Amino acid sequence: MAHTASVSSVDQLKEIIETRYDREPEWSLTRRIVAAENVFSLDWPHLERTPLKKRKLEDIPFWEANLDDAPPARLMVRDDDPNAVWLRFENNQLSHWEVGAALHQRGVIAAPLAESLTHPFVRAHLGELVVDTADKVSALTASLWRSGVFLYLPDNLDTPVMLTVEYHANAGVRALFIRNLICAGKGTQVTVSERLTTDEGLEKVLLSEETEIFVGDDAEVDYGAIQLCSLAVNSFIRRHGQIGTNGKLVWHIGEFGSNLAVSEQVSHLAQPGARTESVTVFFGAKQQHQDYTAKSLHHAPHTQSNMVARGVMKGKARSIFTGVTHIESGAKGSDGRQREQTLMLSDEARADAIPSLIIDERDVYAAHAASAGPVDKSWIFYLMSRGLSESEAVRLIVHGFLAPVIDSISRPLLRDAVWDAVERKIQE
Amino acid sequence: MATPVLEINDLHIAVEDKEILRGLSLTVKGGEVHAIMGPNGTGKTSLAQTLMGHPRYLVTGGSIRLDGQDVVAMRPDERARAGLFLAMQYPSEISGVTTANFLRAAINARREDGRQISLKEFRDQLDQVMNFLEMDPKFANRYLNEGFSGGEKKRNEILQMLMLKPRIAILDEIDSGLDIDAIKIVAKGVNSLKGPEFGALIITHYQRILDYVRPDFVHIMVDGLIVKSGGPELAEELDRKGYDWVRSELAEARRQA
Repeated sequence: MAHTASVSSVDQLKEIIETRYDREPEWSLTRRIVAAENVFSLDWPHLERTPLKKRKLEDIPFWEANLDDAPPARLMVRDDDPNAVWLRFENNQLSHWEVGAALHQRGVIAAPLAESLTHPFVRAHLGELVVDTADKVSALTASLWRSGVFLYLPDNLDTPVMLTVEYHANAGVRALFIRNLICAGKGTQVTVSERLTTDEGLEKVLLSEETEIFVGDDAEVDYGAIQLCSLAVNSFIRRHGQIGTNGKLVWHIGEFGSNLAVSEQVSHLAQPGARTESVTVFFGAKQQHQDYTAKSLHHAPHTQSNMVARGVMKGKARSIFTGVTHIESGAKGSDGRQREQTLMLSDEARADAIPSLIIDERDVYAAHAASAGPVDKSWIFYLMSRGLSESEAVRLIVHGFLAPVIDSISRPLLRDAVWDAVERKIQE
Repeated sequence: MATPVLEINDLHIAVEDKEILRGLSLTVKGGEVHAIMGPNGTGKTSLAQTLMGHPRYLVTGGSIRLDGQDVVAMRPDERARAGLFLAMQYPSEISGVTTANFLRAAINARREDGRQISLKEFRDQLDQVMNFLEMDPKFANRYLNEGFSGGEKKRNEILQMLMLKPRIAILDEIDSGLDIDAIKIVAKGVNSLKGPEFGALIITHYQRILDYVRPDFVHIMVDGLIVKSGGPELAEELDRKGYDWVRSELAEARRQA
């Protein structure tokens, strides 16, 4: 099943694409072929504080099919949980697909993106927010993506939708390319829970996820995601959302896994009254390197953004959190805030919090705060003087540091999953 | 449990090569209340922090023993579990950690795995002690000392002491910044522990608190040494005559030597 020979030319990659995706509509196949050409001409993402050259990502055989031979899962329509959708992909292959009966009957599409290519929305909007040509990762993803979800809520659907989507990789997998496309029509509501996991004992893996979210007028999307991949993984995650009039996009992101974790989250506040809130919790240990960028882009008047990030670094971990709040000229009456804090548990850990506000309009409110510092030694002494061991003292302090942020996650399952991950990282 | 004995013998300590204590000796036993008085900058707080094992202070000579066990070799948490308690002059404000969660963890740290305190038992004890100290029960769920006034912090230290039931408590300027009503409550807390299994070392600048917690022994400390010891009357004398009296007595003694 796998192409074992190395792929060193555009022609070889094209050939692989033509064989592997031959059942796709022509527009999609053509896009993959065009992207394949860019794979060899574009460079890896350029990140000021995360040089990628020495990581030798090009050694990863990203073209390998890494497909299960098992046939893809079939749709199951369920009556017992009528507003829920659950898709699971293992090793790039769809392994589970359930859609609640109520949604199925009312024109909601909740399907693997690869099986939704004939939908006009997909053709019109895929790649609109996350472009195919940004760098080598985006070109690779555009040419080789296989797993991912298409969720389409028709305007005025009055039932809130719960989408759970899981991606898992077993040993043997070398690359995962994921694309999600979500369209929440006017006045709709959706809660997404995404989970990225892998087995342990993998060889070096390249994981790329590109997610595009279109939030319609008066619609509300709550996007939660937790990343728990093994340290063999190099992950690149791009999630972009565009928010319509009085729409709202909420992000709840927990980043714990991967040896290299690069992520970019962008909220386009495109129409008046659009709002976004984002909460990111990250925890690095050992030699993990995490480079996160979050952007709130105020294109329209009376838009609001609030970005909060808290991270903990231990061992020799390194994090960079860049927050950008841009209020464009004309975005009158807008309100943009951000706050980043990182706690360092070891002298060898490093964290940079880089907030930036770009304000091109007078009549606005904008604020930022950022800090990165070690655990206060006097706190440790105080807690130890009451009988707690040093590790218990650190645990309490980490809990205390993260609690206000994690407990603000209104969804109990995700909140518990984040706490579990934190607990494991503390012990690690 | 047996009557505790804390023996400090010829203790020398230094901070960054600067000698702070220069051979201090003192024994505190269960059933006794000792007061150490002295002017600012004389090493009282350094003594308290050293007894609890603050890493800033280096013991350069002498010994500290609790029931014959070498305290200097113990980490702060081991000292606490052995029965030492330090009510700090400036308690840390720890964001995100509630007083209740922290105290429960501290109590459980003293117990074996299978014998952890139940939530109900803990809450009952906490309610009772807070009521005794006339504290608003809401404080239990507030973050440890965060945004507390000076008086609230001191009361919180006493709350912790009563919950953890130490064998020897060191109270470092527990009375500073308190009005008389607050001092009475703090004193009530200390007095409630009095007995053969509890000894206290009260470090203070003023005699005021000693009107409410009657000391058995009063020691006057100057420049890293105990220069004069006596009974409660010494505190009163000091209050009347001031520290200059001690200094001139010292100078007199040196001249005669």
